[in-house]
Amino acid sequence: MKDTIDTILKQYPVNDRGSLIPMLQGVQKQEGYISKEAVVKISRHLRVSRGTVYGVTTFYSQFKFNPPGRNSIKICLGTACHVQGGDFLLNALQLEIGIKPGETTEDGRFDLERVACLGCCAIAPVMMINKNIHSHMSVIKIRQVLSNYA
Amino acid sequence: MSKARLKNITLTIDGKSVKVAQESTILHAARKAGIYIPTLCFLDGLKNYGGCRLCMVEVKNTHNFQTACTTPVFQGMEVTTKSSGLQNLRREILELILSEHPFTCLVCKDKGECQEFMHTTRKVSVTTGCNFCTSNGDCELQDLVDYLELKEVKFPWIYRNIAPVKDNPFYELDYNLCILCGRCVRVCNEERYSEVLAFVQRGNKTLVGTAFNESQLEAGCEYCGACVDVCPTGSISEKMGSWVGIPDRSTKTTCTFCAVACTMNVNTKGNRIVNIGPKKGERTEPLQLCVRGKFIPGDIVHHPERITMPLIKKADKWIEASWGEAITFIAQNLDKYRGNHFGLIGSAQDSLENSYILQKFTRKTMQSNNVDLLNAFGEKGLVQKIHDHYSVCPPPMIDDITSANTLFVIGSDCSLTHPIIENRIRKAFKQGKQVLAANTLFNRTAYFSNHFIVYQPGEEYHFLLLLLSELLKGKNSKTSKQISKYLKNFDISNLLDQCGVASKDIEKLSNTLQNSENIIIIAGDGVLKTSGSLHNLNALIDIQLLINEQKDCRMMYLFDEGNRYGSSLMGMHPDHFGGFDKVSDPSSVKKWSENWNCKLSSNKGSSGDEMVRNISGDGIKALFVMGDIPPHKNLSGLKFFVQQNMFLTGTSKYADVFLPMSSFMEAEGRIINLEQKLKNIVPAIKPAKGNKPSWKVISEIAHLMSEPGFNYRKAKDILSEIRLFIDFTEVASSDRSTGVQPLGTKAREKTEGYPVSLTIAPDQLHYMGNILTDLVPDLKAISMTPEALQKTETENNG
Repeated sequence: MKDTIDTILKQYPVNDRGSLIPMLQGVQKQEGYISKEAVVKISRHLRVSRGTVYGVTTFYSQFKFNPPGRNSIKICLGTACHVQGGDFLLNALQLEIGIKPGETTEDGRFDLERVACLGCCAIAPVMMINKNIHSHMSVIKIRQVLSNYA
Repeated sequence: MSKARLKNITLTIDGKSVKVAQESTILHAARKAGIYIPTLCFLDGLKNYGGCRLCMVEVKNTHNFQTACTTPVFQGMEVTTKSSGLQNLRREILELILSEHPFTCLVCKDKGECQEFMHTTRKVSVTTGCNFCTSNGDCELQDLVDYLELKEVKFPWIYRNIAPVKDNPFYELDYNLCILCGRCVRVCNEERYSEVLAFVQRGNKTLVGTAFNESQLEAGCEYCGACVDVCPTGSISEKMGSWVGIPDRSTKTTCTFCAVACTMNVNTKGNRIVNIGPKKGERTEPLQLCVRGKFIPGDIVHHPERITMPLIKKADKWIEASWGEAITFIAQNLDKYRGNHFGLIGSAQDSLENSYILQKFTRKTMQSNNVDLLNAFGEKGLVQKIHDHYSVCPPPMIDDITSANTLFVIGSDCSLTHPIIENRIRKAFKQGKQVLAANTLFNRTAYFSNHFIVYQPGEEYHFLLLLLSELLKGKNSKTSKQISKYLKNFDISNLLDQCGVASKDIEKLSNTLQNSENIIIIAGDGVLKTSGSLHNLNALIDIQLLINEQKDCRMMYLFDEGNRYGSSLMGMHPDHFGGFDKVSDPSSVKKWSENWNCKLSSNKGSSGDEMVRNISGDGIKALFVMGDIPPHKNLSGLKFFVQQNMFLTGTSKYADVFLPMSSFMEAEGRIINLEQKLKNIVPAIKPAKGNKPSWKVISEIAHLMSEPGFNYRKAKDILSEIRLFIDFTEVASSDRSTGVQPLGTKAREKTEGYPVSLTIAPDQLHYMGNILTDLVPDLKAISMTPEALQKTETENNG
């Protein structure tokens, strides 16, 4: 893992702040998330403070600080899903698997993310796990749906 | 350099014509003309920011409003800073800012009267209004609300509901009060280069924070306190003096902890130090201090264990005595030990006046030359050598460090011992100057250096010789020939292994030094405090000589204590009188006998360490210690032992009389710093009842011992006497024409009985011998090497 970060960093010039975001994107693409180690390495490569790198990383919602789980859950909170009770779904799901959006369960089974629209408003509220859309979701169905993913 | 050639420009602000240099901003011009423009995010000396938008002004013939802090002036510019439109705009902006800050008290119509009813409710943990805030009365938001006559805020108040951080050793953080002006972030990154604070998240979730929300200490905070000084609200507030109230007096004085001797501003209320920081209204241009200067003086001055009355030991118990009683007791006892049985150990953080009187007392009244400073250097003659060197090659000024092309920092952990020097080094590095550093350990300076060399502990001298021999290559001048003659005594090829450095490191170092125009060598503890420091110094001076043949090279020695140089110059040294007149030289004994109108002993004096070792039998029988010395079992053999200190310490248990001491916050004086500038110590508060400055105490003792020549009424009287006898002009001499001769490097002799028992470890910060981490345990936080730093050390080496 250490080497992958280093190979990505080597592609960018030292001491050039402009490369910060491409570097973060590169790391996230390879590793799936931005580790503490990556932040430290990038900060040293670009000679900016760790705080600055962390600040930029938190500014963009595309960057994640947790390693992805085996299954990634996306809860839609777009207009239609919101009206159909997406919020309740998210709350129930948080209770069920014990994590907040942006986090990964301890056993690495799930990670959770909230999205704005999945483009299938007719079957709202929806939840997407990996590439599968689960339509007309309700709080009662959560446990059963999750049991299909190990 | 080009600044001098900038043209002046004339513009009109509110009908007033102002002349300023080109490239100034409207805000600078307005300040120069004495016109007030409200600001919140502006910080003097840092990059323009333009974040708060309160400094909007109208410029004729431009559309829209311009921010005064970022807009450069041009010839014939016409600026309006006050109009109803502008004030409305500012009010609107302030309302938006206040929607994220508890504003109910700010715009309350009864705010003038509520103070008297709200006394008891102030110390709540959640700040929901001005009356619960530590900055009440010293808040820039309050000032702005008054200035803009804001009566109400039409937006709902958003309370961020963040738990205040209270586990920080020196200050509290309550980000619910933060208005995100960014001053702390900018001062941390652009002025101090501690690089701890940053903006995290975005939009309405934006906060000031650290990477991964670590604690400040984990993130590498050095607690310089710059963020506290600049915060316009109560978001970052000092723990000490939080609830003391609004300061009623400010005193500009000098810090004596280290030889940088920063100017500092002490805010006091009544006889209590509220804080050390900018005066009200000067927050945008704060004086930069370090953790010791900023947070420690108040803590030690108002320390609960401080002794304020003289104590006399009777039957192994301390009994309080009056000053008269104690002084008479001391005078009677010291009378028995005149001559070589008396010794005095002072402190290098004492003022010139105190040092002068202490050694005058020892030499004149006690007829002894046993006078020394605590924690003297590894070699007795070092300060004198530095004095001689400085008289032909004056030291650079602290601000010169930033303008030099190349810095060579050797043996210094200055982020801990001299943070302001470290700050200048960092500034130079960030400006693209070459910074070369060498030390026995990887330290913080390494992050701000182009090349960092680690050598084996104790090998400073050989490391310098390696550099010297590398610099000599290809040189054929007279000096270089002389130096290479000395170097023949060494087997250079073996030294590389001994020092544990690679030859390419030395080559790189030598090349960089030879290829830059303007070089400053900064030598720290590693060079000055180790055994054989005189040799180190000789080698350094030879290096300087060699480089000086073609380039400009200056040397700065980082003395640890504020007045190390000054005290030595005053004669706090067993081997020389004031002005470095040698005791062994009959003519200087004659000179000082005439000066003081008395007979002086020409006996060889003992250093502090020798004094402590010679307590027994016919050696030292009476000892006077100013401040503290590390306790030593020999001290129990003393017949009479006086200690003057702020606290009872481990050494005090051997003492017969204990006198309270006035700190540099309470007594007037002067010190000479490492730039050889004379700096004033102005008392900020009055000492405890009856407490006197040390020179007065000593003078009274001398008086009771029927000794003439101690009739001083003020510290100034002593200074004028010092000026009569010791040539100050010599100190500031800038005559470099005489030149220096190569000093020669000899094989280092083993120094027998190297003084160790009276030395405080260099990483132990102290005031007059009192270890600061013992008095203020919170300081331990910074003297530790942060975990993060240790980790990176292994990574970098691997």
